[in-house]
Amino acid sequence: MINVKKTLFYQGINLFWSEIKEFLITLGNIGKDFVRTIKAMSTLRVDRKTLIEQCSRFSVDSLPITLTIVAMTSIIIAMQIAPELAKQGAGNYVGSLSALVMVRELSAIMSGFAIISMIGSSYASEIASMAVTEQISAMKVLRVDPVEYLIVPRFLSGVIMMPFVVVVSTFCGLVCAAVISNITAEITYLNFINSMWHGLFVKDIFVALLKSSFFGGTIALISCSCGYSTRGGALEVGISTTRAVVWSFVAIAIWDYIFASVFYL
Amino acid sequence: MGIEVKNLTKEFNNKKVLNNISFKVEDGETLGVVGFSGSGKSTLLKIICGLLYPNSGEIITPPDADIAMTFQYSALFDFLTVYENIAFPLVERKEFRGKYSKEELKQIVAQKLKIVGLQGIEDKYPSELSGGMQKRVGFARAIVTNPKIILYDEPTAGLDPVSSTLIENYIVELKKELNASCLVVTHQLSTIKRATDKAIMLYEGEIVYKGSTQELLEGKNPYTHQFVTASIKGPMQIKSL
Ligand SMILES: Nc1ncnc2c1ncn2[C@@H]1O[C@H](COP(=O)(O)OP(=O)(O)O)[C@@H](O)[C@H]1O
Ligand SMILES: [Mg+2]
Repeated sequence: MINVKKTLFYQGINLFWSEIKEFLITLGNIGKDFVRTIKAMSTLRVDRKTLIEQCSRFSVDSLPITLTIVAMTSIIIAMQIAPELAKQGAGNYVGSLSALVMVRELSAIMSGFAIISMIGSSYASEIASMAVTEQISAMKVLRVDPVEYLIVPRFLSGVIMMPFVVVVSTFCGLVCAAVISNITAEITYLNFINSMWHGLFVKDIFVALLKSSFFGGTIALISCSCGYSTRGGALEVGISTTRAVVWSFVAIAIWDYIFASVFYL
Repeated sequence: MGIEVKNLTKEFNNKKVLNNISFKVEDGETLGVVGFSGSGKSTLLKIICGLLYPNSGEIITPPDADIAMTFQYSALFDFLTVYENIAFPLVERKEFRGKYSKEELKQIVAQKLKIVGLQGIEDKYPSELSGGMQKRVGFARAIVTNPKIILYDEPTAGLDPVSSTLIENYIVELKKELNASCLVVTHQLSTIKRATDKAIMLYEGEIVYKGSTQELLEGKNPYTHQFVTASIKGPMQIKSL
């Protein structure tokens, strides 16, 4: 007789199943926390001081990293396309192409990545460590709703501040692109700016802002939720933080796809 | 009114951690809860303060009773100062929001700190305090709303004997001050002796002793005998260390 439980097949299935279960549990937790957050927000009584604190943390603290990443992306793109287009006599299109790529796509997603690593991970780990040291239980016993106190201000800061972060970093990125095009392909600044406005529509800017807001809210919610449901000790705090980062990455990639297909297909 | 627990049962993963537990604590009375690690003492407190739901049974408390709990590792908010920690429920709880002025809050916090023998540490962060001080700040935070029921989870665990005595005295004083019903979970004989009026002993989810503290310390029942003599031999076996 073979022991079924010892076969590789059984163990493989088991592992697979536990992964799926974990996935579903995480998804469930995020959904539950989203509903709770919305419910808590519906009272329209947000602690203003905490909200301002979180907003400044979300934007100002992350800006150096976000700007660097977006600017580098923008510089690299300009470096690749400006000389090439200029060589083919299409130097007039460098500005519009850069603006299109940055505004429609790269600024938001690159800022998103930067925010996940700067802000998402710290949201997740700080709330997770509060959970494992019973600070969240203590809050409940003191009859203060931890969702309202911890998650709502962070979620709102993401929704409100992400567009701001993206606007600033896009602006900075395009300035860098203009400088690089000027240096590498002798495209004048005036030419770059004129061409930029040719390529962009108000719709692009509107979609970019809306998308960033969704990104910010999603990152904050997922990070808080992964932290909030942590049980155990230091090891689990690490696992939750990793989970928050991975889930946030995948989630904003999916949002990006959804926005692209809804608005540009 | 106090607090009454009736036929409480709690299971984790089909394993009964608490099995049909009943007891009563009057106003101005302290009940000690003793038992091995893993015997469900913390679970009992968490059910009473609403952090966990029982599988069956009832907790009867006065309507709208404010229940306070102090945690084994204090559970102070590490991102807030001592002052902000103690004032937290008065500032953040819905029913109190905006009710107290800054001056009033300062006064209340200073008064509560004085009760637990600490003064002038309002601006420190929890990480700057010793374990015993953290516990006392935790006490001050718990009693800031003048609760009628106070639950202490291992208040003296990990403290030196003198600090333990200090904490035990505060438990007695707080009870008198608020005429509250208290539950003290502990392993420590000194805490049972100094801080409690009566006691229950839990083993394998059941109450194996219920009576006065005095009688528990006399060790007449085989369970209490084993406990007070700290003997390996007896009706209770440690299954997990
Ligand atoms: N959330 C939980 N999920 C599953 N099992 C738990 C949970 N909390 C406690 N337990 C189990 O219940 C038992 C009692 O735990 P606890 O009440 O913390 O004991 P004590 O405080 O007396 O040391 C232990 O065996 C513990 O493993
Ligand atoms: Mg315990």
